[in-house]
Amino acid sequence: MGILAGNRRRRWRAEHAETADPHQQVNQKLWILRLVVLAAFAALAVQLGRLQLVQGSHFQQRAALNQLRIEPMIPSRGLITDRNGVPLVANVPGFSAAIVAADIPADRDLQIAGGIEKLLGVPALETTLRIEAARKSRDPFTPVVIKDGLDQVTAFHLREQLPSLPGVQVVVDPVRRYLAGDVMSDVLGYTGRVDEEEFAALKDKGYIASDSIGQTGVEAVYEPYLRGQAGRKEIEKDATGRELRTLGEDPAKPGNDLVLSIDLDLQKKVAQLLAATPNGGQAAAVVMDVHTGEVLALVSLPSYDDNVLSGKIDETKLQQYLNDPNKPLLNHAIAEQYAPGSIFKQITGTAALQEGVATPSTTIAANGYINVPNEYDPSIVYTFPDWRTFGPLNFYGGVAWSSDVYFYYLAGGYHAYGQNFDGLGIDRLVKYAGYYGIGRKSGIDLAGEADGVLPSPDWKKQTFGDDWFLGDTYNMGIGQGFVAATPIQMVRITAAVANGGTLLVPRVVREVRDAQGHAIVPAEPKIESHIPVSPENYAIMRDAMTQAVAYGSANPAYQADLKIAGKTGTAEFGARHPDGTYDTHAWFSGFAPADNPQIAVTVFLLNGVGATNAAPLGSQILDYYLHRPQQQVAADAAAPAGQTQPEATP
Amino acid sequence: VNLRNTPTREFDFVLLLAALGLTVYGALLIYSGSLTTYGSPGRALSHPVSRQILFAAIGLGAMLVLSRFDYRAFGPLSLTLYAVTLAMLVFVMVVGASAYGSRRWIVVFGTQVQPSELAKVATVIMLAKYFSDNEENMRSLRVFLTSLLIAAAPAVLVLLEPDLGSALVFGVMWLGMVVIAGVRPAHLAGLFATVLALTPLAVVFAQNYQRDRFDIWLDPNKDPLGTGFNILQAEISIGSGGLFGKGFTHGTQTQLDYLRTQTTDYIFSVGAEELGFIGAMVLFGLFIALLFRCLRVAGLADDSFGRLIAVGVMTFILFQVFVNIGVNIRLVPVTGVPLPLVSQGGSSLITVLASLGILQSILGHRRKRGRRT
Repeated sequence: MGILAGNRRRRWRAEHAETADPHQQVNQKLWILRLVVLAAFAALAVQLGRLQLVQGSHFQQRAALNQLRIEPMIPSRGLITDRNGVPLVANVPGFSAAIVAADIPADRDLQIAGGIEKLLGVPALETTLRIEAARKSRDPFTPVVIKDGLDQVTAFHLREQLPSLPGVQVVVDPVRRYLAGDVMSDVLGYTGRVDEEEFAALKDKGYIASDSIGQTGVEAVYEPYLRGQAGRKEIEKDATGRELRTLGEDPAKPGNDLVLSIDLDLQKKVAQLLAATPNGGQAAAVVMDVHTGEVLALVSLPSYDDNVLSGKIDETKLQQYLNDPNKPLLNHAIAEQYAPGSIFKQITGTAALQEGVATPSTTIAANGYINVPNEYDPSIVYTFPDWRTFGPLNFYGGVAWSSDVYFYYLAGGYHAYGQNFDGLGIDRLVKYAGYYGIGRKSGIDLAGEADGVLPSPDWKKQTFGDDWFLGDTYNMGIGQGFVAATPIQMVRITAAVANGGTLLVPRVVREVRDAQGHAIVPAEPKIESHIPVSPENYAIMRDAMTQAVAYGSANPAYQADLKIAGKTGTAEFGARHPDGTYDTHAWFSGFAPADNPQIAVTVFLLNGVGATNAAPLGSQILDYYLHRPQQQVAADAAAPAGQTQPEATP
Repeated sequence: VNLRNTPTREFDFVLLLAALGLTVYGALLIYSGSLTTYGSPGRALSHPVSRQILFAAIGLGAMLVLSRFDYRAFGPLSLTLYAVTLAMLVFVMVVGASAYGSRRWIVVFGTQVQPSELAKVATVIMLAKYFSDNEENMRSLRVFLTSLLIAAAPAVLVLLEPDLGSALVFGVMWLGMVVIAGVRPAHLAGLFATVLALTPLAVVFAQNYQRDRFDIWLDPNKDPLGTGFNILQAEISIGSGGLFGKGFTHGTQTQLDYLRTQTTDYIFSVGAEELGFIGAMVLFGLFIALLFRCLRVAGLADDSFGRLIAVGVMTFILFQVFVNIGVNIRLVPVTGVPLPLVSQGGSSLITVLASLGILQSILGHRRKRGRRT
C-alpha cells in the first residue's frame, strides 16, 4: 500500500507540474523579484542610516576639519646688537618654492614637476619623488621646500605661474643676514632650516617644516628667546588648497632682542691683531670683564662667514670650510683644549701660597734642571729641565721668570740629594685646579664647549691603567703633561686672580630685552664660586705677574703707560722632533691695569712662543681697550643703528 | 468588435512620472555639483544641466516614439541590433577615446557615445527573443549555454575596455531573465559551482588596479589622497548630511570640491550631503516605484518576449542603482557605473528612457483587453 500511495503521489506531482498555470508561476517569480527590489533598497537604507544617523555627528566633524586649516604664523626673530647698540643681524626676506602634496591633483604630478623644472631648474624626477613621498607622509598638508634661496625675479616669475601649478607655493620667510660677517660668526653662529628629524621634535612648538632655527652660537643657545611665539591663523580652504577666507587669527609674538657683552669695535681690533701675526693658522683670544664675567671679545681664527651657512647654504664654500685643516667652523676659544703651559702657574702659585708651601720669600736655587732618582733604583735618574738657568729665586722671581724648577718644587716638592722641600703634592694640586674650574665647562652661553682635562692619580689609572709618578705632578705644576684647558677656561682663571678669587661664568649675552626694550634677563654677573685663596695671596700673585711683565718672561707685553700683569706660556705638544724639541703653543694670559684690574685677556696661538708671539698681542689688546678714543666707540654705535633698526626706536 | 487584435493603447503615467522625477532629481544634483566649475546654468548650452535637459528631451522623445511602435517588431531586428552593438564595442576598443586608462567612448557628431549602454538594451532584446523562441526547450542545457554566451559576448568586450562594473551588469541581467524564463535550477547550480571554482583564478589574473581598488576599499586610509580619497570624502559627505542634509547647494564637501566626479559616479553623495537621509529616501521611493512599475509591465505582458524584456530592463536598472549607491556608501567595492536617470551622461539617460519606452509599448500593444488580473 505504501508503495502504491507513493507512486500515486509522484504521478500527481508530475501531472500537476505540467498542468500548473504558467502565468501563476511567472507571477510568483515576479513577486520574488519585488522582494529582491525591496531587500536591495532595505540594505542600502540600513547602511545609509548607519552613516547619516548613527555616525552623523562624527562625519560632520570630519567635514568641518576638511575645510579648516590651522596655519602657524612665524614670529619675527629677535635682533642682536653689541654692547653699545651696534646692530649685528638683520632679517631680510628670503624666497623659496614649496609644495603642499595634499593640494596637488593626483594626475597632475608630472605637469607640475615639469613646470617647476622649467622655472627653477629642479629636475622633474626629483620633484615627482618628493611629491609622492610627501603624499604618503603623515602630514601631506605641510609645505615641503623644493628650492631654497630664490632671487626676487625668479620668485616673482614663479608667483605669476602659480594659478597653473596647484599645490605650489612661494614661501617668503625672513633670512638672517649677519652684518659683521666673519668677525662675529664664532659668537653669533647662524640659523638654518630645520631638518626632518628636528622638525619632528619641534612641530608642537609652533615650528613649520620650512622654518629656520639657530644652529650654533648665540643663535642656538638663545633660540627660545630669539624665536618668539608663533601665532595661528585659522583659514578655510577648498580641496585644491586655495585660501578662501581667514576665520581667526592669533598673531605671532616677536622674538626677544639680545644685547651682547661683546664690544664690536674691540672684537674687530682683536681679530685684526690676531690675523696679523706671522704664525697665522689657528688662534684664539678672549677678553673678559674681571668683575662681571662679560666677554668683551671672543675671536677664533680662522673664522668663517655665517652668511654662507644661513638660509640657503653655499655648498662649495661649506666644503671649503670642512676641508680646511685649520677647522674654521670650530670655535678654538671654547671648543678645543690645549696644554696651558706656564699660565697654569697662576694656579700652582696661588695654591702654594695658600697652603703655606711657599711664601713670597721662599727661595729655591733654579739651576736649569732638577734630577730625581728612581724610587726603587737610585741609579736611574730622571732629569726635569728648566727653560733657562736662573740661580736662586724667590716667589716673585719664580713667577716673573716663569722658572719651571721653582714650580717643580712647589708642585711636587723635592726630597733628594740632601734637600727636603715639601710641595703641594698631587692631591692638593688637583683640589686647587678644581677650584679654578679646570676639567669642567666654564658655562659660557655658547654651544660646543669642551671640558678640558683635570688629571689625577685616579684619572690616570682609569685612562691609561698606569700609576701616577712624581714626574706627572711636576709636569702638571707647570701646565704640561696631561692637563688641558680651553682659552675661555684660562681667561676666567686670570680674571679670578685679578678680582681676588671670584670664579665667574663667562657670558657673551649681556641682556635679553623684549620687543618694547624692557630687560627680561637683566645684565648681572653670574658667579660660579669663590676660590678659597686669601686676598693677600692674590695680591702677591698679581705683584708677581706685574713683575713678569715689568722685567720677566712676559716683558714683551710691557707698555710704558699701562701697568699690565700677565703670564706667558709656551706649551710643548705633539711628537718630539729629531733635535729633541717640540712644537709649542703660545699663550699669554694677563690683566690691566695691574693695580686696579678691569679686564683680563687670554691669547692663544696654536704655533708659537708665549713671550715673543702671544705676549705682545695680549698687551696691544689691553692697551687698545683701555686707551682707545671713546668717541670712536660712540660713533660706531650711533651710525648704523639709526639706519637698520628703525623699529627699535618707536 | 474584435477586441483581440486591438492594441490597448495603455500608457503608464506612473512609470513616466517616476522616470521624470528621477531625471529632475538628477538635474538638480548636477546643478549643485557643477556650481564650482560652471556657476549658474542657462547662458551656455555646454553647461552640464543644459546638456542633461537636452538629453532628457531626446530620451523622452524616444520613449514616446517607442511606446507607439509595436515592440514585437524588435523580434526579427534583435539579431541585427545585437550584432551592430557588438561591432561597436569592438570598434570602441580600437579607436575609442580613453579616460582614466580605459576606452569607453566613441565620438559621434561631437558627442561622446558609450556603446556599452546601447549594448545593454540590445542584449536584453536578444536574450528575450532567444528565450521566447525556445520556450519549449527551456530546460535544455543547450539553450542555457547559448543564452549565457549571448550575455557573455558583450560582457567580455566591455570587461576588456576595461569596465568591470558594466560587464557585471550583463551577468546580473542575464541571471534575472533566466530565472523568469525558467531554466533548470540544476544548470544554474552547476554554473555557480563553476564560477566559485574559478574565483581563485580570477584573483590571480585580476588587474593590479582592481586588486588595489579592493584593498583600498577595505582600508581607504592606506592611500587617503589617492584612490582612497574619493571613498573617504564620499563617506564624509554622506555621513555629514545627517537626517535633513545641509541644504540644497550648501554641501561643504560638494561646494569646496572635496568630492570628485560629483556629477557622475558620486552624484548620490551630493544628494545625501545636501538633502540628507530624507532626500535619499525620496530618491529610493522614486526608484522603487519605477522598478515596481517595470515588474508590473512584466506581469501584464502578452507574451514571454515582452515579459522578458521588462524583467531584463528592470534588472539592469536595479543592479546599477544598487552598485552605484553601494559604492557611495562603501557597501560595494569601487566600480564605476552610473546611477540610472540621475547621473550626468547622455548615453545612459537616453538608453534608460528609451528602454522604458519599449516597456510602455509592451503595455500598450497587448492584444487582449481585460485579461485576468
